[in-house]
Amino acid sequence: MGSLQARLMATSAIALGTFLALTGWVLERSFAASVLAGAEEQMRGAIYGLLAAAQERDGRLEFPAELGDPRLSAPESGWYAYLQTAEGAVAWRSPSLLVTPIALPSAMRPSPGSFRFRGAELAGGGDVYQLGYTVIWEDAVDAEMTFWLLADARPFRAEIRSFRGSVAAGLAGATLLLALAQLAALRWGLLPVRRMTQRIGALRAGQREDIGADYPRELAGLALTLNRFVSGERESRERHRRAMGNLAHSLKTPLTVLKNAVRRLSPAERALFAEQLERMETTVAHQLSRAVVAPSILPRQPVHLLPLIERLLRTLDKAYADKPVAVEVRGADAAARGDERDLLEMLGNLLENAYKFCVSRVRVAVEDGNPVRVHVEDDGLGVPAGERERVLARGARADDAHAGHGIGLAMVVELATACGGGLTLDDSDLGGARATLALPR
Amino acid sequence: MRLLLVEDQMLLRAQIDKYLRDDGFVVDMAGDGVEGLYYGREYDYDAAVIDLGLPKLNGIDLIAQLRAESRAFPILILTARGDWQDKVAGLETGADDYLTKPFRMEELAARLKALVRRAAGHASPVLEQGGLRLDTARRALAVRGQPVALTAFEYRVLEYLMLHGDRVVSKAELTAHLYEQDFDRDSNVIEVFVGRLRKKLDAGGVANPIRTVRGEGYLFSPGA
Repeated sequence: MGSLQARLMATSAIALGTFLALTGWVLERSFAASVLAGAEEQMRGAIYGLLAAAQERDGRLEFPAELGDPRLSAPESGWYAYLQTAEGAVAWRSPSLLVTPIALPSAMRPSPGSFRFRGAELAGGGDVYQLGYTVIWEDAVDAEMTFWLLADARPFRAEIRSFRGSVAAGLAGATLLLALAQLAALRWGLLPVRRMTQRIGALRAGQREDIGADYPRELAGLALTLNRFVSGERESRERHRRAMGNLAHSLKTPLTVLKNAVRRLSPAERALFAEQLERMETTVAHQLSRAVVAPSILPRQPVHLLPLIERLLRTLDKAYADKPVAVEVRGADAAARGDERDLLEMLGNLLENAYKFCVSRVRVAVEDGNPVRVHVEDDGLGVPAGERERVLARGARADDAHAGHGIGLAMVVELATACGGGLTLDDSDLGGARATLALPR
Repeated sequence: MRLLLVEDQMLLRAQIDKYLRDDGFVVDMAGDGVEGLYYGREYDYDAAVIDLGLPKLNGIDLIAQLRAESRAFPILILTARGDWQDKVAGLETGADDYLTKPFRMEELAARLKALVRRAAGHASPVLEQGGLRLDTARRALAVRGQPVALTAFEYRVLEYLMLHGDRVVSKAELTAHLYEQDFDRDSNVIEVFVGRLRKKLDAGGVANPIRTVRGEGYLFSPGA
């Protein structure tokens, strides 16, 4: 089951259902038992009434016309009494039985002095309760005889049924209420979880810096850990970048010194040193730029590309003030997901290449979609088709890189791949190269 | 051409200083941002070279402060990291060009000359006026098509006057931009150089392109 809420709801529904069904069952059973006991109690009363009313005459028992229980006198009352001798003969029938003749159920007689109560079915149909009581009438000839009483079970059953109905209705109402309360409690209880989930979503979309700290005790630890993790990741990226910057500074400054000191050497030495220094320089530049490329576990905020491009173009216009370059910028203000620094790096390298290699025209086009594509074209010589693959090879050794286009493009490939995009090269209709940078949206 | 160089690495600073000095620049050096700011405030420069990774006051902040105080000389930044964030930030703050370490001194000098020339309003590295053709990239003078040999100092005087040909340049300004700070500022020396320069230009057939404006200084106006 995919959702916490569904799990909790299912569990509590099963528990609640079982509990309420059991409750209903127990209630119904005990009510039925009490109804039955009541029935037996009433029937005993009637038998005692008959015992009291019985008169012995000539060795036979006789009963007055009006019996203690009016139901035994009334026809169709559902209550019937009869007297059975020890031999099994019916010695007397109540008036109700005389009017409504029914097939008497045969039953084992109880032992003298004891009652026997059971449910029975009449041969003609109909449920009855049957109570028997055997007495030894000491004055009579036929001393042992059994009083039988039959009572229609339907009124009692109806009582139980109606009780069952109201219990069921009550329990169903209670179930509904409890289920609603449960749902409300769950929603309220899971609210912080929902909030956390939403904020993690916002964090992933780059709309939040952390997931906040307003959580109940059970989640506070998790939230704290997650926040620390997120800010730790951010800090470590920043620290890494700074360390790389410092490393760059401490390596490249001495490289500059050495590179310019070689002029004092003999021509042979100068060539050797210059070549080795060149190798060091490209390796350092390449490895440092690669080291900065650390794919982040945190997705980035969408960054609008046109403002970045405009900033870079202003910078390049200043730096290439001596080279009149006509730049044409086209396209939508699309946003790509990525680190602004990395985007600046990729676009900067592509644009500077275009400024460097163009004759006088550069075209930049932003094509919205997923991925977002940025085309940078120039009217220079372009990159020969045979060279492209090598120029773009990811992780190509710096000293193999195609002169000029080399490190810059290798770095763009590196960064683009790390952020889930890519770089391709082909021909521009301006006559030179067209570099297409694909970036995730 | 007077230049401010702010670089914290002593060896590189000395190397740049030596190279640029040999190339005809006058260089003031500072080893950190605060010192750089002091020089930048106190003196007028033709250009500045500022490393971004400076102690005490970083390069970007130094540039921002100089620009905030209306110091308008062109600034070239040196960056070790070479990332675009730095370059863009540098140029948006007010720098005019960038150079990524490691670089060649020739490249640095060429970029500086271009900056100075552009700052004076000249688009081309070749200054041409009234039969004079001064190639600032090759440091060569031709008068009416004939090359004229100049000493380093004569060249500097002429270059400065031609770059600022739209106005009168005082002797004090010339001294400040062409000499070391601690140089004995005897304006007679300038007069001697200007005199020699006039003779060479006269010999080439351009009559008195450097006019003396009494009490104010010199004005470059050939063919007047």
